[in-house]
Amino acid sequence: MIASITGIGWVTAAGMGCGRKSDSFSMPAGNLPKITGTVVFGKPYKHFGRMDEYSRVGLAAIAFALKDAGLEKCKKKRNIGIIASTVYGCLHTDIDFFNTVIPDGGLMASPNLFAYTLPNCFLGEAAIHFGLTGEGFVVNDPSHARLTSLQTALDIISWGETKKMVCGVCDLGRPLIFGQGKKVPPGSLFLVIEKSPESNLSTYGELNLDKDDSISFNKTKIADLTSLVNECIVNKNRK
Amino acid sequence: MSQVLITDVAAVTALGDDIEQLWEGLMAGETGIKPVRHFPVENYISKYAACIEDLTLPGNLTENSRIRILLDRLLEKMFPVPADSFLITATTKAGIDNLEQLCRGNRTDTQDILLSTILDIVSQKLKLTAKGININAACASSTIAISQGAAMISSGRANSVIVCCIDIITEFIFSGFSSLKALSPFPCRPFDRTRLGLTPGEGAAAILLMSEDRVKKDNLSPLGRVLGWGVSNDATHITAPAQDACGLIRAVRQALKRANLKEPNIAAINAHDTGTVYNDLMELTAFKQVFEEHKVPVYSVKGSIGHTMGAAGGIEVALGLKALSTGVIPSTVGFSDPEDGAKGLVSSKPIQISGDYLLTTNSGFGGINAAIVLARKGVQ
Repeated sequence: MIASITGIGWVTAAGMGCGRKSDSFSMPAGNLPKITGTVVFGKPYKHFGRMDEYSRVGLAAIAFALKDAGLEKCKKKRNIGIIASTVYGCLHTDIDFFNTVIPDGGLMASPNLFAYTLPNCFLGEAAIHFGLTGEGFVVNDPSHARLTSLQTALDIISWGETKKMVCGVCDLGRPLIFGQGKKVPPGSLFLVIEKSPESNLSTYGELNLDKDDSISFNKTKIADLTSLVNECIVNKNRK
Repeated sequence: MSQVLITDVAAVTALGDDIEQLWEGLMAGETGIKPVRHFPVENYISKYAACIEDLTLPGNLTENSRIRILLDRLLEKMFPVPADSFLITATTKAGIDNLEQLCRGNRTDTQDILLSTILDIVSQKLKLTAKGININAACASSTIAISQGAAMISSGRANSVIVCCIDIITEFIFSGFSSLKALSPFPCRPFDRTRLGLTPGEGAAAILLMSEDRVKKDNLSPLGRVLGWGVSNDATHITAPAQDACGLIRAVRQALKRANLKEPNIAAINAHDTGTVYNDLMELTAFKQVFEEHKVPVYSVKGSIGHTMGAAGGIEVALGLKALSTGVIPSTVGFSDPEDGAKGLVSSKPIQISGDYLLTTNSGFGGINAAIVLARKGVQ
């Protein structure tokens, strides 16, 4: 066993939530729910409204996952890393930013939008809000299984870099201006995985990285991230 | 744990299409920073960037991004890369020039805009069979990519990893840094009291990492080793560095610990050192805190090749190996009036170093910091 899953959080077109309070999970096509700082953090968070949508959607799922794991509160910074996987990343924000550049030859380029034109910026927002100082980066995973961030996070734990990681996916779907390209459902889904669970909350189950690079959950190979989360929820209900 | 050996490097920058040209330029104190010609800059704080010649000519628009031309020029310099190598690419914005065209209503290849496209292009060109990942961590992207590759080899998850990193200068990036008032109106002046910001650069690098066993099996001669690495987040601000340098300090200490080295073992530091007011202060704070009374020479190549963003870490690792093998670190071009704390550490001339280990660091938006310790060829 490399790590246990201790928290799950998401924002999808089917709604937002966390593993312990839900009976199923899906990431369908459609419009994402409106997210506010109050909904996510239980109190107004002024800065949340200034973020781009990609960051809000990603940060919200990370917040739900950490809360689900009982790790949302901290007195000091902690060595917890975050790996996110995405297909289109912050391209919607990129388009919004460049549309502020075009009209006046760059004179009205928006610094606030530019600050969010890197797909890893929301990891920084999560790091700031939750005091997470571990390794953090975004990987680009166009595969159907969407398991790259989980696999990378398990690697990092197995290498001894940290004992806790947050990992998952975040996308807003294919920008309309693209016309063609891979269809990806909008939404975010993050898991908290811990080598030695800190909270008294029960875990969802155990993860292992197999020699053939596949991932096992409670000794059964998993096919994709969505089915893993549904298995976690079923497993929780069995306990 | 397997040793992580570097067996081949390549780099294309504004100072030339290979490492030798780049090194000679750095030793001569040259700069590739010039007025930008491939998009209008009259409305921006700066008119300067370190662009690579002949990636495109003004008005010569195609449906392909300039990244494809740059990757061609990079990869033709590499020796054959084993087909089973795991590929890690690093870029901040891939073919973002194509997004500009799209937003302007022009026909363009949207595939080149996706960050994962770098992975596809390199994999096809090198005829790789193993899968790979693209890493995006702002201006620390390639430093983290090399760290990940090193960890894969050290742990036995792979025995050959090729890291390719690339970023180009586009109006998107230039206008963004200008809007943040992060661009220097003159070519950047790292660690100089009169510095006012960064100068963007474009570049690409490839680094081939291998295990000891694979090096022996393939009968290769290593150029040096990746001995330690560390990555940490400031958890302070998404675009500004932490004033107390907490993230960089942690990253450097992790790298030294993994390398099993003490501070006095480090012969020189390649600093990220973009020439922005706050980044440079943060780095000086970190180095002072980590190295205390040990006066370790520090240099930056940003005054010569600009800030190459996602490619910076890869290019600087390639140059770090060169510095260790020649026993000389490059001049910090643009530096003349030392910032407090830089006097006696940074030089406007190349300087001799003695020792076997070099530290190289990079930091980026999102509060991320990364550090790598390199060992000279032949050092156990």
